[in-house]
Amino acid sequence: MITLECASLKGFLDCASLAVSGGRSCIILTETEFEKNLLLRIFTGLTRLDSGKIFIFGKEVSSFSCGELNAVRKRMGIVLNNGGLISNLKVWENIMLPLSYHSSLSHHDMDEKMLSILGKIGYDDDIAALPGPLPVYKKRLAGLARAMLMEPDLIIYDSVFDGLSPEIRNKALETITVFQRQKEGRASLFFDMDEGLLDYIRADSIYTLKKGKLYERN
Amino acid sequence: MKIKRITESLLDTIIYLSELFNLILNAFKNLPALKINPVRTVFFRQIYFAGIETLGKMVIIGLLIGIVIISQITSLVGVGRGELIGKILVWVVIRELGPLFAAIVIIARSVTAISAELGSMNVQGEIASIEMLGIDPERYLIMPRIIAITLSAVILTFYFELAAILGGIIVTSLFWGVPFEQHTAGILTSLTIPELSASLVKSLLFGLVISAVSCSQGLKVSGSITKIPQATTKATMQSLFFVFIFDGIITLIFFL
Repeated sequence: MITLECASLKGFLDCASLAVSGGRSCIILTETEFEKNLLLRIFTGLTRLDSGKIFIFGKEVSSFSCGELNAVRKRMGIVLNNGGLISNLKVWENIMLPLSYHSSLSHHDMDEKMLSILGKIGYDDDIAALPGPLPVYKKRLAGLARAMLMEPDLIIYDSVFDGLSPEIRNKALETITVFQRQKEGRASLFFDMDEGLLDYIRADSIYTLKKGKLYERN
Repeated sequence: MKIKRITESLLDTIIYLSELFNLILNAFKNLPALKINPVRTVFFRQIYFAGIETLGKMVIIGLLIGIVIISQITSLVGVGRGELIGKILVWVVIRELGPLFAAIVIIARSVTAISAELGSMNVQGEIASIEMLGIDPERYLIMPRIIAITLSAVILTFYFELAAILGGIIVTSLFWGVPFEQHTAGILTSLTIPELSASLVKSLLFGLVISAVSCSQGLKVSGSITKIPQATTKATMQSLFFVFIFDGIITLIFFL
């Protein structure tokens, strides 16, 4: 599903390798937020490697053009720590943005799909409001709904449990677990800096980024 | 040392101009993306903000400018020269003031808004977030803005010119008793293809340059929110500068 082969980026990655296959979940722990964000940018093709290879869905993407990368990104869902919502779009416009951009579904079908997902994840705020005043948790939920709507093959979570109460965290975790099982071969990647994540998420593999190398834990 | 600095700044200018040219070229290449619903929404929002919301004020400014110009010309050449007055009105309004005023109003209203909006989106990581969704920011954010601002510039120029000429004619007819037909004869004989095409070319070019400058400056903002006001100031000043430069060049090409 996603593989790094001796990936190097000056001052950041030094021949780092990683492999996550379809249907698996993986936790990647970094020491700093900068490292986490840069790794996220590499996985989404926003930052190019100096050397090494990155395979996403079996394709080597490091030399892909913008258009080719966008085709790959369509199959990925990313839930950012701050929700990654666009501030001048209303919540429902944010949630619908990738679906209405990439698909040819009718408005009615898209609306139905969105409302069903919002019901499942328990989003009960006003979707006609701008996202600015929303609490971070709600923004993340909207970001999650946006990613789920695209039915991705690979979903990346960027510190999504950060600062949540145990009750809300467990609810979010349940939603994420159910979502991964809904599609055969769907992989989940959890990026975080907090080792405490290991207490409540059971992943198939755990990697730690240290001094430019990715170490797999037993 | 001095030559080195001059060469560097000249190179920077050439690189910047090629960036602007690329933005405009890509906007035209990405035109088919207007079929995509969210892109079309951004386009219509820009048309509404830069064109429709500005229209009323533009017409009022046009009327007032028309009145001022015709009053000055009439007091200069006298009341009986309706044909000459009409001719001068066309020359001043269609050739020069129409495209120029439309551009200045768009600069005051939209350049600051676009550069600040894109700058803030960049600083807050929203543009990266859009890219992560598999959406090309040049298609979703830049193209609709460039095309909408350019169309708005052309439409606002047309309404400004119409209002200025009508305002002028009405005032001279009402206050100086110049027959309506005398003006229309002067205006119609002076309204030739070069006049109209100069006005169209100017407004098109001003719209393209203004929108490209504002998008480029907005996209360059990175790191800190405090850089947004700097970007908007830079975008405003550069847009004004380019508009006056292109105004001079086009006038020379068409009427020299």
